[in-house]
Amino acid sequence: MTMERRQNYPYWFLLPAFAVFALLYLTPTLTGLYYSFTDWNINKKTIDFVGLENFRSLFSDRKMVAALWHTLIYAFAVTVIRNSVGLGMALVLNVKMRFRNLFRTVFFLPYMISPLIIGYLFTAIYHPANGLLNMGLKGAGLGVFAVDWLNDPRFALFSAIMVDVWRTSGFAMVIYLAGLQMIPGELYESASLDGARFTQTFRHIMFPLIAPSLTINLVLSLIGTMKVFVMILVLTNGGPGYTTEVINTYIMTEFSLGLYGLGTAANLVLTALIVLLGFPVLILLRKREVAL
Amino acid sequence: MKRSNFYRIPLFLVCVAVSLIVLVPFAMILVNSFKDARQSALFKLSLPDEFLWSNYKLVLSKPAVIRSFLNTIYIAVFSVLLTDLCAAMAAFVIQRRPTRLGKAAYYTFLMGLVIPISIIPTIRLMMNTGLHNTYRGMILYYTAINLPFAIFLLTGFIGSVPKELDESAMLDGCKPLRLFFRIILPLLSTVMVTSTIVVAIAVWDDFVGPFYLISDYRKWTIVLNIYTFVSQYETNWGVVFAFLMLVMTPILLLYFALQRYIISGLTAGALKG
Repeated sequence: MTMERRQNYPYWFLLPAFAVFALLYLTPTLTGLYYSFTDWNINKKTIDFVGLENFRSLFSDRKMVAALWHTLIYAFAVTVIRNSVGLGMALVLNVKMRFRNLFRTVFFLPYMISPLIIGYLFTAIYHPANGLLNMGLKGAGLGVFAVDWLNDPRFALFSAIMVDVWRTSGFAMVIYLAGLQMIPGELYESASLDGARFTQTFRHIMFPLIAPSLTINLVLSLIGTMKVFVMILVLTNGGPGYTTEVINTYIMTEFSLGLYGLGTAANLVLTALIVLLGFPVLILLRKREVAL
Repeated sequence: MKRSNFYRIPLFLVCVAVSLIVLVPFAMILVNSFKDARQSALFKLSLPDEFLWSNYKLVLSKPAVIRSFLNTIYIAVFSVLLTDLCAAMAAFVIQRRPTRLGKAAYYTFLMGLVIPISIIPTIRLMMNTGLHNTYRGMILYYTAINLPFAIFLLTGFIGSVPKELDESAMLDGCKPLRLFFRIILPLLSTVMVTSTIVVAIAVWDDFVGPFYLISDYRKWTIVLNIYTFVSQYETNWGVVFAFLMLVMTPILLLYFALQRYIISGLTAGALKG
């Protein structure tokens, strides 16, 4: 059998994929690890090792510290709201109704569109004077809530968060819905024979059984949102002031200033953040899946 | 489940409301793309007094726009072909040989789903290897960043292709390459549709790649072109909306035509891992 395997499934089949991946993903990732500890910048011919100097500057830069917090707030808020909305809509669509597939198609749609386009779309919607949001609020007699969503430091980050929720909740919904539809119908039947209310059925049958959907949604969401860049760039460009600055917009600024070592170090901080948050969440949720 | 009948109408209305929240912004772009500068800046949902095609004509009259459409198609087609082929070959061996090496390769690729690519060292590397500012550089870049997802998706799927097929083919004296291209690859066609659409859309929608890796405007992709275009025409939202419509329409058509492959493929992939 081992003989047959070797002949049928040669390892060199891995080579084309590995070659491209090694060249353009692994190499920059690994050299980036080194550059993070150097003074690489546009004004110097040589690249010299400087130890932790970049990290010292990063953590003493108020803008970077703000970017770090905003990235965490953004990731946490988008993850919580996206998953609440996504799960809610999945429960609604789990009920047999007319046009169910059409609704699913519509809810998922924004996920297909470039975040850049969606950013411009919402620049118009959030427009303080003419945007649909404020026109709607004024029309409903809620004019006091019609603020300048993207230019008011109190609301800018929240406004960006809601655009991402709008864009990606359909994706979360589709994964929850697939999880719900894998639950055997008999379980619902026996629950309703026992006189279980919806909340009880949800707590004791649905929620435990969609554990894999919950895991994948939370992990993908945390990882993806911490990498946010385009949405912020287009909606606020980090402003007003630096109230919506995130790590990837910070990296862009450092890059344009020619501070390459520092920018690369900021990316390493982002990587550390993703790994330190992503893996414990993954392990925790996986353990929970097994326990259930 | 009789009780749910009682809830059905309110739930249906919730779905209609959410659909509106999703669709109204798109409707806003559509109607305003036919209005003049003054009207479109009001962002109203009303239909235009008369449908102006001039915004679309203006966008399409720019050679740079046409060129960037072609650039995007060119880069997307080759990125998809290279990603699909490399990923299918790798996923086949990874799934069929769960050895230490196979698993190590799998987890190395999966790292790419988690750890963000470091863009500044990527620029340097591509400059040093003559890939910066080239089409082939972009194709290799997109292949590298989309391979992890494609390998993940395909490895999950190949598990459902019976091994007996390989064995009987082998008994007939089939060599690995022939086995792969003649027998395995055709069986992967549905999942390949999923990975093809997902990768094609990822390339079409991407901003970061061309933003950092292409300095020659003649090689820009369409999304980067929107970015610079908007800074020029920001005062004329009608033109901007027409441009956004032109870039979105191919994606929307693709989505509505093939959405079952996209949604079921993505969910199956996500829940298998």
